[in-house]
Amino acid sequence: MQQAIPCNSGRTWFAPTAASNGVVHVTVKDRPSVDGPSTSSSSSDGGGGGGGGGGMRRLVAENPVLVVGRRGCCMCHVVKRLLLGLGVNPAVFEVAEDAEAALVDELAEIAGGSGVRQQVLFPAVFIGGRLVGGIDRLMAVHISGDLVPILKEAGALWL
Amino acid sequence: MSSTSAHFATSRRMAVYQPNHQISMWGNSFKADISQNTGASTIVEADTKLDNRLEDIPRESLGPSKRYDQEANKPADKVVRRLAQNREAARKSRLRKKAYVQQLESSRIKLAQLEQELERARQQGVYIGGHLGDATLGLPGTVNSGVAAFEMEYGHWVEEQNRQTRELRAALQAHVSDIELHMLVESGMSHYDDLFRIKAIAAKSDVFYLMSGMWKTAVERFFLWIGGFRPSELLKVLTSQLDPLTEQQLVAVHNLQLSSQQAEYALSQGMDRLQQTIVETLASDLLGASGAANCMGQMANAMGELEALVSFVNQADHLRQQALQQMYKILTTRQAARALLALGDYFQRLRALSSLWAARPREPA
Repeated sequence: MQQAIPCNSGRTWFAPTAASNGVVHVTVKDRPSVDGPSTSSSSSDGGGGGGGGGGMRRLVAENPVLVVGRRGCCMCHVVKRLLLGLGVNPAVFEVAEDAEAALVDELAEIAGGSGVRQQVLFPAVFIGGRLVGGIDRLMAVHISGDLVPILKEAGALWL
Repeated sequence: MSSTSAHFATSRRMAVYQPNHQISMWGNSFKADISQNTGASTIVEADTKLDNRLEDIPRESLGPSKRYDQEANKPADKVVRRLAQNREAARKSRLRKKAYVQQLESSRIKLAQLEQELERARQQGVYIGGHLGDATLGLPGTVNSGVAAFEMEYGHWVEEQNRQTRELRAALQAHVSDIELHMLVESGMSHYDDLFRIKAIAAKSDVFYLMSGMWKTAVERFFLWIGGFRPSELLKVLTSQLDPLTEQQLVAVHNLQLSSQQAEYALSQGMDRLQQTIVETLASDLLGASGAANCMGQMANAMGELEALVSFVNQADHLRQQALQQMYKILTTRQAARALLALGDYFQRLRALSSLWAARPREPA
């Protein structure tokens, strides 16, 4: 099981076991009963983009569900738990304090592409390549019953 | 008529004593120098002093004489006069009591603030074991004027909620139109929004106070979850009261309850994780090998971690609000009115239970 290592820069690529500075890992939380292969973003997924933008964009695009959060943040844990409880295997990207600001900009850019300008707050949840929002928004969407349909649409859930 | 005058003497004594008693209790404005001797002449003297102070008692009709024991031949007048004096004394007493209570309330708030200042001055690692009674006065810790303000606002909130509940009940019983019901429901919903708003402010002020539930009654506290009610529990209460619901509504309500439970679970897990984090932070290097600087660093970290509690309370309140609003969407106007009534009633009963419990007769020690 890979450990999340805080990223010091925006660069992203996938090296399953490397733990050197500046390397970012995307962790996969195991959920024993779920075994759809494409829901888990495995680190073997491929090559690195050169720039941070490319890497992040790739992460967002390639994972049905992506949670971006601060390292050690308990709200991030809440988001993970909620998604896991629904049967989703979210990809998680954990960022260190100093890299936060740059990442926020990047994410805003990625999110803005879908036409809706949203403020990026951590933890940030992307579903099907689109920014759903922070935990507030996630809870609201969940309570109104819209979360599961969105997840299914993004291929993160089957029933 | 010795028996008659004896009778008058006794009741006169009583009439005199009660106002005296009340005066010495509530009033600083009266010099309570009226002795309690039982000699008849003393009583009459006291009566005289009393008469002089109770200025607004109409006495013109009763004649100038103040010597009661000389008027045994006019019993009716005396009775009337005494009753009037009693009424007057009682009225004044009530007014004084009201003023006194108001004074008490503001002193209470002042006292709470003073205690908090004192606490802050003495804090520095010394544990002050305050009594956690039902009053906030005994709470140690970083309570501040934000808390006092919240307590007051919450008190008003509860009063208003009780009033709205009564209004809803009356409206439903009177079978008012849906339009009127809709207005009542709207105010009910926005009243809950008010609650969450003042809680958010209080959370910034003192999140531990909010989490402690000391602002609620004891029984409500028993059901406390992250600084408030548990939404799924509330939904259970409501659905049991809302028959008949359509098939579609039943499904929607069931899903809402499920979603709420899932969200609650996630938040609880987050809270556990927060506890764990703080424990790890504080428990690292307990045997103190690394020195004071490290300890300070630890404390700083722990402080940062504690900040997350504010988010948790906010998220929990947000969940409560969302659950209520979703319920509102599912229900018809009439159903929503009944739901709000049921909620209001339920909370009132919880509070009443707390009072009963506090007042229950206990075995002598």
